[in-house]
Amino acid sequence: MTITRRQVLKTTAAAAALSLPLPYYARAQGTGWSKLKGQSIVVNWPSHPHYAVAKKLLPDFTAETGIKVELDEMPYLRLKDAQVLQMGKPKGDYDVCVYVIMWKTEYVQRKFLTELEPMFQNPELAMPNYDRGDIIKGYYEGLGLVGGPRGYLPGPGAKLYGLPYGAECSVLAYRKDILAKHNIAVPKTYDELLAACRTVKQKEPGMGGLASRAQAGHQVTAGWLLHLTPNDGLVIDDKYMPRVADPAAIKATETFKEIIATGPDGGASFDFGQMLNSFLQGQSAMYLDTISVFGPARDPAKSKIVDTVGYALHPKAAKFSGELGGFGMAIPQNSAKKEAAFAFMQWMTSKAQDVKAAAQGGQPMRLSTLDHADVQKVYPVEVYKECLKISNPDWRPIINEWTEISEKVLGVHLSEIITGKADIKTSMTDAAAKIKTICERAGYYKT
Amino acid sequence: MNQAGQSRWIPYAFALPAIAVMAIGLFYPILETLRLSFYEVRLGEAPSPQAFRGLRLFIEVLSDSAARESMAVTLKFAVVVCALELAIGIGLALLLEGKIPGMSVLRTIFVLPMMIAPVCVGLIWRYMFDTNAGPINAWVSGFGWKPAWLADSSLAFLAVCITDIWQFTPFVFIMALAALQGLDASLVEAARIDGARLWQVIWHIKLPLIMPILMITLLMRLIDALRGLEVVYAMTNGGPGLSTELFPLHIYKSAFVTQRMGHSAALSVCLLAVTTVLSAALLVFNNPLRRGTSS
Repeated sequence: MTITRRQVLKTTAAAAALSLPLPYYARAQGTGWSKLKGQSIVVNWPSHPHYAVAKKLLPDFTAETGIKVELDEMPYLRLKDAQVLQMGKPKGDYDVCVYVIMWKTEYVQRKFLTELEPMFQNPELAMPNYDRGDIIKGYYEGLGLVGGPRGYLPGPGAKLYGLPYGAECSVLAYRKDILAKHNIAVPKTYDELLAACRTVKQKEPGMGGLASRAQAGHQVTAGWLLHLTPNDGLVIDDKYMPRVADPAAIKATETFKEIIATGPDGGASFDFGQMLNSFLQGQSAMYLDTISVFGPARDPAKSKIVDTVGYALHPKAAKFSGELGGFGMAIPQNSAKKEAAFAFMQWMTSKAQDVKAAAQGGQPMRLSTLDHADVQKVYPVEVYKECLKISNPDWRPIINEWTEISEKVLGVHLSEIITGKADIKTSMTDAAAKIKTICERAGYYKT
Repeated sequence: MNQAGQSRWIPYAFALPAIAVMAIGLFYPILETLRLSFYEVRLGEAPSPQAFRGLRLFIEVLSDSAARESMAVTLKFAVVVCALELAIGIGLALLLEGKIPGMSVLRTIFVLPMMIAPVCVGLIWRYMFDTNAGPINAWVSGFGWKPAWLADSSLAFLAVCITDIWQFTPFVFIMALAALQGLDASLVEAARIDGARLWQVIWHIKLPLIMPILMITLLMRLIDALRGLEVVYAMTNGGPGLSTELFPLHIYKSAFVTQRMGHSAALSVCLLAVTTVLSAALLVFNNPLRRGTSS
């Protein structure tokens, strides 16, 4: 029997193809992952553009690890109710919880989350090629670390409780065609931004300047916060004293009010989805919020303005300062399947999956992803890198009482201000007094 | 005990299981809510002696301007929607009480809004009132008007009222129609023979006769209006400001946004008290049950 050259090549290629995956997966998984095969975990995560992309990766996770995933998906502001109820039980139903950055301190203080460092030190559980240093530092620290200065900043005492997934910073998106039509330069400062808003509102029928979130509650506070730190403002200072009636915060509130006044019609009731749609459907010339706009803006099914969007750095007021927020994944302390949950978190945030997610419109979490050629084809990577440099980990105070301050105090007063029901100075002074009462009740002023 | 004494207790013995079920099913949760209102506890925490605050949470509720404003909004909402729903519902019932071909189909169509889940109603009307994409503005923009319904305090309140009226007027209509159709036709006939005009028949014969049913309907609508949550949650989240923050939404935010279960329990007890007082006042003013027994 003679062996042809073609047969040799075929056999060699087949052998190579069959043998490659084994050492690859052996490197990509912890040594103890094979024991987790057949387990089923419950993951609680949000309805959000990034997680819509992430969902597409789940079949591959199950195929590679043998771990099944059951999803409990809900609107992101509903996550906390479900999570607190589950994590408060002796044995919870969730094995992985996706949390919004503003809840991390409270969750750790209430002993809801599992510390991750010991798991990363366990070779049976840790992915050998995971490379934590490759995760964008601001995201890793901002979403994952708790217990440092002010309870939520990186520094002495901080420990790792979560991994960023769907983390965000802010970016200015704009309609290149509309700005060019009215000879408006891409705004680099807030003065230029407000001038552009006025011009668009006056000269472009049916269009607003900048789309913003402004619905009463969490949304209006999030919209306002975007302008607070660039104006050098604070919600509370290091001694937990409210600063929302300080001149810097007043200036930020005036800016916010003008943005709403020159924005799209009905903008004072917009939530995140309405704000995004306002920009994508051509009702607003600009968008200043999270980078989650990147994916939908280039999706013809969601956007009417696919080829006309440009991106720029969050404009400067007193200083450059952008948002740092979004989502992180953590393991509840009362999960019965922490090992499988940890495998899931690492796999989803690994280099390979981060590239896959970003290429489909997800939000990149890793530096190597930003350098990947496939991602650079679809993502405004250079602008994104600049935005990351100015993202501010102290963008909002992530204290336990933040949700109450955000929704029940600022969320009401700011809503009344932008709809003309209340005067800025009087209302923010009233808000400051209420924030002080909340901090007092929480015991921050005890000596 | 003699036979008469024994027979006196027999009805109570038979009623005992029902009373026990009522006590457990109805009063136990209310008593637990009352107990919780004395403790400062967060969601997922059990009341402990350290968390006991006595009446402090009630004092906080009563001195909280936001809670007072929310209660005022709720009462205003209840008065407006109950009055308009009764007026429109009774009016429609009077118009359609006669023998009209296809009435059964019409009746089914009328009750459709009541069958829709309140959250869906909120979402439907949020879309309807959308400034840019909503059909309502598409119609009114023909007159050069483009209101920002949900971004203006007064218009948002109006929008929430319109939504409630749309959903619950059919309930009043069905109740009033059933009452009208149950009237003794000879009374109306006698009034007409005596020369009464249409409005006199309605005002002096029909409405007084169906008043017991209308009072029950009003009571049910009042209690429902004071409990409204899902529609405003989906439509406005209580805004702008607190202009549409109905008290149940205020309670919801206290429980699930700020996680203060004791505080939300105190708010719930206050709402229960207000609802009880208003319902009692309504029954004192015109108690259909008493009238039914006396006649």
